[in-house]
Amino acid sequence: MFEIFSVIWKKFKEYIVLVLLLIISLIILSSSQKQSAKKASSVFFGVFANFSSVISDALDIAKYKSENSSLRKTNAELMLEINKLRQYGIENSELKDLLGIKDTLHYPILPANVVSKSLSRSQGTFTLNVGRRNNVRPGMPVINEFGLVGIVYSTSSNYSIVRTLENLDLSLTVKDERSRVDGIMKWNGANLVIINVPKTFDVEPGDRIITSDISSIVAMPVPIGVVVGLNNVETGIFNEVKLKPFVDFVTTENVFVIKVVESKEEDNLELNFFNRK
Amino acid sequence: MRSEYLWSIILFFPVLLIQTTILPIIAIHGIVPDLILILLVFYSMRLGQLYGTVLGFLYGFLLDMITGSLLGSTMISLTVAGFIAGYFSNENKRDYYFKNYIFVLIVFMCSSINSVLNSFFSSADLNTNLIHLLLNQGILPALYTSLISFLVVFFYPKRSFES
Repeated sequence: MFEIFSVIWKKFKEYIVLVLLLIISLIILSSSQKQSAKKASSVFFGVFANFSSVISDALDIAKYKSENSSLRKTNAELMLEINKLRQYGIENSELKDLLGIKDTLHYPILPANVVSKSLSRSQGTFTLNVGRRNNVRPGMPVINEFGLVGIVYSTSSNYSIVRTLENLDLSLTVKDERSRVDGIMKWNGANLVIINVPKTFDVEPGDRIITSDISSIVAMPVPIGVVVGLNNVETGIFNEVKLKPFVDFVTTENVFVIKVVESKEEDNLELNFFNRK
Repeated sequence: MRSEYLWSIILFFPVLLIQTTILPIIAIHGIVPDLILILLVFYSMRLGQLYGTVLGFLYGFLLDMITGSLLGSTMISLTVAGFIAGYFSNENKRDYYFKNYIFVLIVFMCSSINSVLNSFFSSADLNTNLIHLLLNQGILPALYTSLISFLVVFFYPKRSFES
């Protein structure tokens, strides 16, 4: 008996090892959403991010000089813009006072740098140099000057992993800014799309898409992208709306984490896409 | 020979550092060459199919843990890539493979399979156009990776390692 096994092993050891390793991988794949796996991963990426942040910082120094002059120009333009908005703000608060509406919009933001990016475009993750010590928690939105970048997925003490909009596991409730139509946005492996939009809904190319007030993850209006086309126009009762994101995920380096205090009650709702497996 | 087994593990970390920090700078439309795969193919061809398969599994495990991608997805794709690269681990032809474009072709094949399998498990939506998936997440990254693998052919010592 032993000899038979010995002969089989000698002849097919490469195949036996391959099959065994693939079975182990599939078992790990099926248990990848477990809390223990996430904890182990946060330790690994936390240690590795310490090293990658050193290289990332060194690379950034070379870029700072050229960036500074363009930032000064942007600052001047923003100063003028803020002045205009301040006037609107005063008018707005006066009008709200008249109507008795409370202003609750205040979002603390935390600046962060991208210290490393996922190996391939298909994975869609960034590592940021802020973590639990900066009170960053999974589920917090990450933005830059153009719009929504992604959502914090996992944190270690000093670093965090962000699922960008180009990650298949991230779905968000979004809204057409013009027609106020809500929909579910996701990455389909090739494009950013709003799925299952009834054909009767008023969505047109050129419309700006923002996060929806009814989203359980990002419940404030953050720009996402612009509608570039509709799929499935001829067939079925639903359209698939194709978006072009405002954020360029290839060149993104500096971001902000919105430190939104999550509502535990809302977190437990079935419709919270962040918690959905 | 034994030190080569050790080097295949040690080299993984500096190569991954370069992969995640410096290589995004030379990305073309978000496509980056996969240095880890080149390293895997190199050691699979040098040290044999069995070792290549195990090394692919180990690299995949470390990558999944470090990059936060779906745990198990890279393990599967790199295990298969290491196994396939190991097919070309012929002691007599090894140096010949490393010194010409055949190595680049092997990298291209392994990279295509790795990219397609990886995107299938970690990001592919089955509603997405399959040809688009094969091209954008399989062939194009594989082309870029195999282009970079010319460096191995270029810098591979003219005399064999053993001598």
